[in-house]
This record gives sequence, structure tokens and C-alpha cells, in this order.
Amino acid sequence: MAMVDTGQLRLHVQRMGPRDDRPATATVVLVHGLLTDSLASYYFTVAPSFAAAGLDVVMYDLRGHGRSGRPASGYTLDDSVDDLEALLDRLAVTGPVHLVGNSYGGTIAFGYAARRPERAASVSLVESQPATAGWARTMDGVLRQVLHELAHNETEALAWISSNRSRNTARLARGAARLARETTLAQDIPASRVLTEEQIRAVRCPVLGLYGGDSELALLVPWLRALLPDCRTVVLPGHEHSVLVEAAAAVGGHVLTHIQQTATAETDSGTEAGTKTEAEAVTG
Amino acid sequence: MNAAPRPTTAPDEEAVLSDITGMLTRLLEDEYGLDDVEIGMTTTFNRDLELESIDLVTLAGLLEERYGKRVNLAEFLADMDFDEIIELTVGRLVEYVVNGLKATEANATEAPATEAAG
Repeated sequence: MAMVDTGQLRLHVQRMGPRDDRPATATVVLVHGLLTDSLASYYFTVAPSFAAAGLDVVMYDLRGHGRSGRPASGYTLDDSVDDLEALLDRLAVTGPVHLVGNSYGGTIAFGYAARRPERAASVSLVESQPATAGWARTMDGVLRQVLHELAHNETEALAWISSNRSRNTARLARGAARLARETTLAQDIPASRVLTEEQIRAVRCPVLGLYGGDSELALLVPWLRALLPDCRTVVLPGHEHSVLVEAAAAVGGHVLTHIQQTATAETDSGTEAGTKTEAEAVTG
Repeated sequence: MNAAPRPTTAPDEEAVLSDITGMLTRLLEDEYGLDDVEIGMTTTFNRDLELESIDLVTLAGLLEERYGKRVNLAEFLADMDFDEIIELTVGRLVEYVVNGLKATEANATEAPATEAAG
């Protein structure tokens, strides 16, 4: 198991690459979601096909999650973007990377692209959005609800999940409960510094937004398309928030196409990503 | 590091089951402090062992360390749907490993399995 020390904490990292030691065509970084999630959601779904398509795939567990370290505090969005930045530095991944994030992982991926535009080749948001004031309010509501249930009715809540959903879900909920109880995550995330519209608009690399048709987040599609200079969106009907795991093949296919089209566009323009986006700035 | 001797011919079902049982026993003890779990061919990863998916990532690493890149748990599971993964038994994994090693043995004309353990 590969652990990388960022100077702040140890992060669990997994990497997959093309077979037979072929050189990778590009690096893709996969960022997972909150509480019940870990890098395993990519490892056993889209990661093997990305590696087979010639990509160097980097996956890691967010702080507090999976096998990564769990500090008691420091769970704002900026803290997690710091972790991603430090991790890529430690791995000596310095060129532009393709960022993929599921749910909160997409908010981190977008935050990284906003902070280090020269290092972001593309962004794929799966059931996710950039951090806005509205996003922070939603997170506050969701996390308050989680904390309330845990503080007051944990046993009942878990028993209900066990009998109405599955033992598997109950087990994941227990893990999430520990994380929320042992850390300041639920307080920190809603208190995160969010991005202004100008900062969001300044992300000029190609962005793919991918949503489940039955998810409320699909309502963001017009807003995202109006705001971002280079944005494509895909809505997969019949799916909700967990579309990555439920429809892994479809999600993986769309993301891979997005990455490959970005790479082709860069080659065609014959310039570096930074200069290419300058030329397109007028359309913003 | 455990310096288990690398097999020169493809190991049989019994040997692979013994390897995998050892890996799971170690994992259950390291992560959950359990030391009395019985593991056999019909044991399921989800219902019986209550492993989380991140535990399977660890198992994938242990399998690669032991058998090399011939055994790829990520690819094996990525081809399954969610219900298949929930029902996955130790026996099915043993079968996959044995077949994978046999296939490699059949292909390998002169190169013995000598890649360095992770």
C-alpha cells in the first residue's frame, strides 16, 4: 500500500498505468466523494479502463477517508485542495493533469483547477459543482442532518438503514458516523471559502459536467453552461446521485472521450493549453 | 516482508486458497482486530467477512505482491456488476487466480516467474 507524506498527513495513493510498460499519454487524477466514499469507487469501476486506454491513473483517499490519515480538524475545501496540490508535488506530477471528481471530489478538483489553471488540462465533474455560496448552504443542511441523526438517534438510524436498505449501507453509515464524530469535517466544509463567479469563469480548460437525470444537481446544467467558457454536459436518465457506481461504464466512457478530445484539441492547435485558452477568452 | 517462495509451477486450488486465507486473516486482524474468522471456499467477502471496498483495494495489492501482475483484482471486479460483487466468494477468487496463473504458465516458454515482489 502506497502512503505519501504531504508534510501535513499521510495520504493513501493507488496508481494504475498502461500495460506492458507503454508510456502513458497523460495523467488523470480521480477524486472521490464525502463520508462513505474512498478511492475504491474508482479502483473497481473506471480506473482499469482508463489505464488500458493509455492513461497514468492517480487515485487517493481524501483526508479522514479510506486508508488516509484522519486529523481531528482541517476539513475545509481549501485544506483538501492543499492536500491535492501537495500530493501531486510529492508524486512529481508537474505537467497539466486531467481532473475527475465525484460529488465533493469534483468540488475539490474544480478548486484545484481554479487555483492552478496552468496545471489543469481538463475537469470532469460527476454529480458535482464548483464551490458557491449556494453549495455551502446545501452542504451545511446535509451535514447538519447527518450530525443530528448521529447525535440523537444513531442506533435507531442505523437499525432503520439496516432493515430498509442493506447491511452494506449500514456498515458504510457506521464508518461515516465515526468520521463525523471524530473530526470537525461537518463544521468545516460548510464554512469553506467559496469561489466567486469571476473565479469560476476563469477556469478555461474544457469542463465536462455529468449528472443523473433524477438528481437535483442536474438542475445546475444551464447555470454551468452559461458560466464556463468551455463546458459540455451529459445527463444520464434514470440515475440519481450515485451514477458513478451505478453506471460506471457509461460515466467512464464519457469522461474518457472528454479527456481524449481535450488531448486532440491541444495537439491540433499546436500550442500549450495556456495559450490556447487565451485565444478563446472572448467567448467567456 | 514475507519472503514466501515464488512458485515455479502454477499452484493448485488448495495452495491458492491457503495464500488468500492468509492474506484475509492478516487484513482482518490489521484493520478490525479480528483473529478468529473462519475462511473457506464458500465464504463471501461482503456478507460473511463484512469487508469494505477499500479492504478489497488492500487485498488487490497483496495479490499482486504474491503473484505479480498476472493477477489483477481491479480488472476482475470491474467486469462484474454490483450484485455479483456483493455475492463474490473466496472460491470464485481462488478459481480466477488459479486460471490466471495457469494461463501464464502455458504462455511462458522459458521465462520463469521471477518478477520482484512489490
